[in-house]
Amino acid sequence: MSAHPNALSTEKAKKSKTLKVVSDQTSTSAAPADLSKIAPELSGMLRVLTCGSVDDGKSTLIGRLLWDATDLYDDQRETLERGKKVDGGNPDFSLLMDGLVAEREQGITIDIAWRYFDTATRRIVVIDSPGHEQYTRNMASGASHADVAILLIDARHGIKKQTRRHAAILDLVGVKRVILVVNKMDLVDWSESAFRKIEADFETFSWRFGFWEATAIPTAAVSGDNVASASQHMPWYTGPTLLQYLEQLPSRVTEPTGPFRFPVQTVLRDSRNDFRGLAGTVSGGSVRVGETVVDALSKRTAKVLRIATMNGDLEQASQGQAVAIQLDIDIDVARGAVLSKADARPTVARVIETRMVWLSETAFDPRGSYLLRTATDLTPVSNLKIRALLDLETLETHPSEVCSTNDIAISEIALGRATALDTFGEAPETGSFMLVDAITGATIAGGIVTNAKPEAAEADENTFVLKRAVLERGLNSDLGDRPETQAEFRRRANEVALILRAAGINVEIETPPDYSI
Amino acid sequence: MTQAVSHLDLLEAESIHIFREAAAQFRKPVLLYSIGKDSTVLLHLARKAFWPGKLPFPLVHIDTGWKFRDMIAFRDKTARDFDLDLIVHTNEDGAAKGINPIDYAPSIYTDVMKTVPLKQALDKYGFDAAFGGARRDEEASRAKERVFSFRAEGHRWDPRRQRPEMWRLLNGRLGAGETVRVFPLSNWTERDVWRYILREKLDVVPLYFAKERPTIIRNGQLLMKDDERLAVKPGEEVVNRRVRFRTLGCYPLTAAVESDADTIESVVAETLGARTSERQGRLIDHDQAGAMEKKKQEGYF
Repeated sequence: MSAHPNALSTEKAKKSKTLKVVSDQTSTSAAPADLSKIAPELSGMLRVLTCGSVDDGKSTLIGRLLWDATDLYDDQRETLERGKKVDGGNPDFSLLMDGLVAEREQGITIDIAWRYFDTATRRIVVIDSPGHEQYTRNMASGASHADVAILLIDARHGIKKQTRRHAAILDLVGVKRVILVVNKMDLVDWSESAFRKIEADFETFSWRFGFWEATAIPTAAVSGDNVASASQHMPWYTGPTLLQYLEQLPSRVTEPTGPFRFPVQTVLRDSRNDFRGLAGTVSGGSVRVGETVVDALSKRTAKVLRIATMNGDLEQASQGQAVAIQLDIDIDVARGAVLSKADARPTVARVIETRMVWLSETAFDPRGSYLLRTATDLTPVSNLKIRALLDLETLETHPSEVCSTNDIAISEIALGRATALDTFGEAPETGSFMLVDAITGATIAGGIVTNAKPEAAEADENTFVLKRAVLERGLNSDLGDRPETQAEFRRRANEVALILRAAGINVEIETPPDYSI
Repeated sequence: MTQAVSHLDLLEAESIHIFREAAAQFRKPVLLYSIGKDSTVLLHLARKAFWPGKLPFPLVHIDTGWKFRDMIAFRDKTARDFDLDLIVHTNEDGAAKGINPIDYAPSIYTDVMKTVPLKQALDKYGFDAAFGGARRDEEASRAKERVFSFRAEGHRWDPRRQRPEMWRLLNGRLGAGETVRVFPLSNWTERDVWRYILREKLDVVPLYFAKERPTIIRNGQLLMKDDERLAVKPGEEVVNRRVRFRTLGCYPLTAAVESDADTIESVVAETLGARTSERQGRLIDHDQAGAMEKKKQEGYF
């Protein structure tokens, strides 16, 4: 990434583009077809979250970054030029980011906005998240997609509760790199002492979190100081500009890490070739043809016979690849199963300890019906207990049994049936979940597993065990005992459990006999 | 992995993942096929997601009766070549009333011939989820879209009631009366779509390639006179120009650009070097401020 040579000049920008390959005047049809030059694939991707409080100038900062450093289209540049001029003739950069009419009217950003731009070698995805406290839940969802976060604050106000809340959410969802951008330095007379004080405050709380990198940069987005070009006003700052800092960060991890995990999404069949493939995306580690894999729930094992894709078979499938795995024997696994290697299996969990951010506008209801959506499974919750809330002033936890919008809660969740899960630290994709309202379908909370326990919760006299025999005899009598009806069997069992749960009964769905081996 | 993963590989895997999640979670999905380059990529990714099986859902094309003739020919050939289950739906009532893109304001035309029939088709067949090729880089209100975009009863989009999406988890549990639009290309850009078409050697509608075509200039835009229904007004003149299209839709509403790019390579080269975003060629978006947002609230895709 480098500063756009013609930043702030639409006229010049028309004459030269960073990424321009062929000028429009040239007849391109006769050009040799060197695909690697015409359409180079980018070698990586970096997802950058921006968050901050209202009025910290977030949209301006990002607009500035796009304006100065990237391949904006001319009509986008003109949109900015047309906008009202602010602060000495600079375009209103926020027009690039604030998309919805409601947002422009209110002058705040209520929802996350995704922006894409390319440097010479990689895709930068900017996830612009809302600053207003009321929309913290949107910030949390944006953060879960990010590799690095820009935490923006106003130099005049320093670190506030909202900054700590954002840092805590970044930590919870697994963001490992954080940049504290101390903006509006022009409004504190470019004062080093003001910056150093904020930097020290940041250090005193950020060490608590699991960040690999946490750094502070003083900027003035409206004039571009330390955004894409080094500030002339702050000679005392010798660190990188925001752009330089982003430039040296590694791309999104594409190397396989952690144990092999393959949550099965669906089963693909091709009767013509007797093909039965388990479709999914490798969520951790890798697997090779010939290796033995195990379905955590049924404990059945099989060998990988083929790793199929439309572009041809693969010898190996690694983290992030979407494939179809054909096994050498049919072990009846379906959606919701997680394949692993035998020596590093996920936990077949009955109870999980979690940290979660409460996203719903409705507070936690101990009588509510909830479902746990994990990688590819959907499990009725038999009991959800809030244990503690994170105090955003002290960053310490305090016991609590209630939980409402934007709270970060520690909870214990008893599951209606066993589910294959990891802790978030071991395998993030099989260690995270969304809590879903069974009636409205709304997403209630997003969280991570901090501990997965195989044993069932202590027997409660109020717990009703939903026996398979009862289901088979009545409700599911039309399904018969065939592998392909297992998903429907489970779906109906879930719904019955939810209805009973709504009546205040803790429900456990009996585990299939094969699974208790 | 030994070889570096390109950004297109990451995008492709993400899209396949989305297709499979939606197919597994929804009762009766459908793919909204609009024939253009985004639909071409969308369909290709869908085939990859379920290969070697068949697509587990049909395609539906909302035909306004005003698409370029080349588009319809391409649509029918594609359906044959890939053995697809294609449903073509038109708002017969609107067509009978003669609602057309020339005499009616774009907002009225779009509502009657695109938004209404889309709702009709979804309701008629009881589809609970519809795949679309929308990308977040297309337009400001789309930059805020979810991958699973929920529509309340009557297909209304309420930006404030969208569900948070975290990590790779997609929550497709529907509330009463809700349906979903699924956008597997959410994180693709216009340039990615072209790069991918080139990489995967996909066939696209010939209108994307420069050719001598009969055109008129109206309101500063180059329009192709695809058939007799586009009447030439006084002062206008039909001139053969070497043009192509960056986006495809109803021909009286789709502006052409003058270009010499007549191969996939040169089109991609031109697109990568392009200085205006593709929506400039779509006349409906300029109708009023916040046009797209408003259309979406009313149920436009």
